[in-house]
Amino acid sequence: MSIGTRLYTLLRGELVGTDSFGNRYYRSKGRRLHGRERRWVLYKGDAEATTVPAEWSAWLHHTAPQPLMERAAQARSWQKEQHPNRTGTPAAYRPSGSQLRTGVHARTDSDYEPWIPE
Amino acid sequence: MPKLTIDGIEVEVEAGLTILQACEKIGIEVPRFCYHERLSIAGNCRMCLVDLERSPKPVVACAMPAADGMIVRTNSEKARKARRGVMEFLLINHPLDCPICDQGGECDLQDQALFYGMDRGRYREARRAVPEKYMGPLIKTYMTRCIHCTRCVRFATEVAGVPEIGAVGRGERMEIITSDNKAFGSELSGNVIDLCPVGALTSGPYSYAARPWELEKTQSIDVLDALGSNIRVDSRGTEVKRVLPRTSEEINEEWISDKTRFAVDGLKRQRIDRPYVRVNGRLRPATWGEAFTAIGRALEGVSGSQIAAIAGDLADCESMLALKDLMEALGSPNLDCRQDGAKLDPSCRAGYLFNSTIAGVLAADACLMIGTNPRIEAPVLNARIRKRWIRAGLPVFQIGPEADLTYPARHIGNDAGLLQAIAGGRHEVAKLLKGVERPMLILGQAALRRPDGAAILALAREIAETLGMMKPDIGWNGFNVLHTAAARVGGLDIGFVPGSGGLDTAGIIAAAGGGEIKVVYLLGADEIDTSGLGSAFVIYQGHHGDAGAHRADVVLPGAAYTEKAATWVNTEGRPQRSNVAVLPPGEAREDWKILRALSEVLGCRLPYDTLRQIAIRLRDVNPIFTETGQVVPAAWGDFGAKGKLDATPFVPAISNFYMTDPISRASVTMAKCTEVFVARRDEERTGTHA
Repeated sequence: MSIGTRLYTLLRGELVGTDSFGNRYYRSKGRRLHGRERRWVLYKGDAEATTVPAEWSAWLHHTAPQPLMERAAQARSWQKEQHPNRTGTPAAYRPSGSQLRTGVHARTDSDYEPWIPE
Repeated sequence: MPKLTIDGIEVEVEAGLTILQACEKIGIEVPRFCYHERLSIAGNCRMCLVDLERSPKPVVACAMPAADGMIVRTNSEKARKARRGVMEFLLINHPLDCPICDQGGECDLQDQALFYGMDRGRYREARRAVPEKYMGPLIKTYMTRCIHCTRCVRFATEVAGVPEIGAVGRGERMEIITSDNKAFGSELSGNVIDLCPVGALTSGPYSYAARPWELEKTQSIDVLDALGSNIRVDSRGTEVKRVLPRTSEEINEEWISDKTRFAVDGLKRQRIDRPYVRVNGRLRPATWGEAFTAIGRALEGVSGSQIAAIAGDLADCESMLALKDLMEALGSPNLDCRQDGAKLDPSCRAGYLFNSTIAGVLAADACLMIGTNPRIEAPVLNARIRKRWIRAGLPVFQIGPEADLTYPARHIGNDAGLLQAIAGGRHEVAKLLKGVERPMLILGQAALRRPDGAAILALAREIAETLGMMKPDIGWNGFNVLHTAAARVGGLDIGFVPGSGGLDTAGIIAAAGGGEIKVVYLLGADEIDTSGLGSAFVIYQGHHGDAGAHRADVVLPGAAYTEKAATWVNTEGRPQRSNVAVLPPGEAREDWKILRALSEVLGCRLPYDTLRQIAIRLRDVNPIFTETGQVVPAAWGDFGAKGKLDATPFVPAISNFYMTDPISRASVTMAKCTEVFVARRDEERTGTHA
């Protein structure tokens, strides 16, 4: 994060909370933009938007007035754990039939049929 | 010559041309569905309406002869309104199924609806639906889409000469059917798919396979017969999806045969995709290095005269030249490109060419066919002969097995002795041929493959000379050899024939069987008697696992005709280049490169590394390769050898049109055609069969 952001956070920001990834969430003290307070996040480590959990994301985008911490505490059975984007890592999603998943080329209609001597 | 004004442009055209043809001349496009420049004029789609001054109604441009002083407006409000009306009528009964129609993207109706289509329909009655028709394994029908342009009917009747497609009913109830609901039995049947302006007749094997805009189009030439038809290879990714004709006035006009069009699915089956080496009697996959080492070991201590090479029917000139150079470097005179044993004489070029040229057939006045059936040996050429017959009633005389050529031909007999009678002028046909200005003869491979082929060739030369087929003063050479193999003329042109003291195909096989020849190199040669090769070490280079590969001790994977940039010479002597549409499968490589790499391992490096260098070498060997796509008239000379004639009748050169080479033998579509058209198992089929 830039020096400007750090300075602005130090002077104008008020810490609201921290999520499980260690990202810190701030809101502006008094100063308003477009009739509402400013909200922002300082990431832990690289800036990676997919590390923002759903309860913080809703607050950050002004969907919810308060962070939905109590909702997050009583998670539904179908809810999955938040994890950052895995694209580009070995854990990346590979659909079934992907050559990158199995290491072998799955046969398709456009493949040729090789001659196999008896 | 009538002079008329079209859209303010004054144009003078030949008498007899129609307004539409006059418009084409000055580059004005008039929309049409039924009109096709190679078919007769029907005038039934009414789409080409134009505004003619002093005419109370718009006139049909395709059927109205251009007359002096006409003032035509092709794009006036009156003409456009008339076409919009016609289009609205056509669309009444045309289903709105473009998203699932195979014609989508290349549909005339779709394109023209863009300019003349209404944005809504006003028709509230019931729409017509037509039951499906059976037209055989190649043509898929969807007759509700038919707009009754009758192009397919006219093609079948006029060009193909198999009048099996017709229309029954009138008006809205008109339906296009085949006679007795049988498969459309023409070797040119696939062309109705191209002719159909809508999606009523579409390609069966290509159905729902791809969309035209996602295909990569490569201009190429066909090698499945000896005509070298110009084709466009449509491919997607690694797969050839379809083959379409390219317009070439000199060769195929805009038709191609069904084998050319539909045998491409054979390119996906039985492919040799890696080298194989025979170990303990079984072929085992190997690397290129291992295969070359095995060949090097087999050639150790073998003298030049103990090595032989045979080139097959699909071999390209570059690879044949590389193999010939390699054989010369190894000191072998035993090489032959005539795997069928045809007694073609390489010493005189005119003696193995179709000298009249294919387009020249239209100038012929009489035709003598000796041991040939152009309908199955070269269907596109047969369409040209038929065109000549339609225009001026060409008298055709046939010696050989009796065959239906789609035009009347007088069958004289099936006996080589008749040639002597004709050459001597004793036969009445001799007088008929002598009496016309431009007589021609077509000598087929059935006549040349026989043991007395050389004598028949000499007799045919005598007939050409004595019966006025050689008229250099009017530029007419009526002596024609019709080949069945794309590689043959090219092989003879580069001299892929036995050197001094060398053996020909029959000699090579006999010597290999007898043990005098130790190593045989087969360049795609599958149509030989591989069981007669005895204990010889056989190297097979090719693209399909056919007879040659099964017998081989080393198999080298080569490229098929859609996978290499190579040269072939057609039966007229016209060298043509193909282009790479898709890459060869697996480890396979372009054929000349394999021979170049092998030569290095064998210690006699061939002096060319690029296609350009080998093209220059090709030109040095024979200057005809300088002008691609051009026919260089060949000098007349002495060829053939006088000898005793055999009393046996001619046997057809091709027994099954649909399966003549490794590609078409591997094709599922061609197998279906064989079942339907050759085995004639469609008797019990009815219209309800899909």
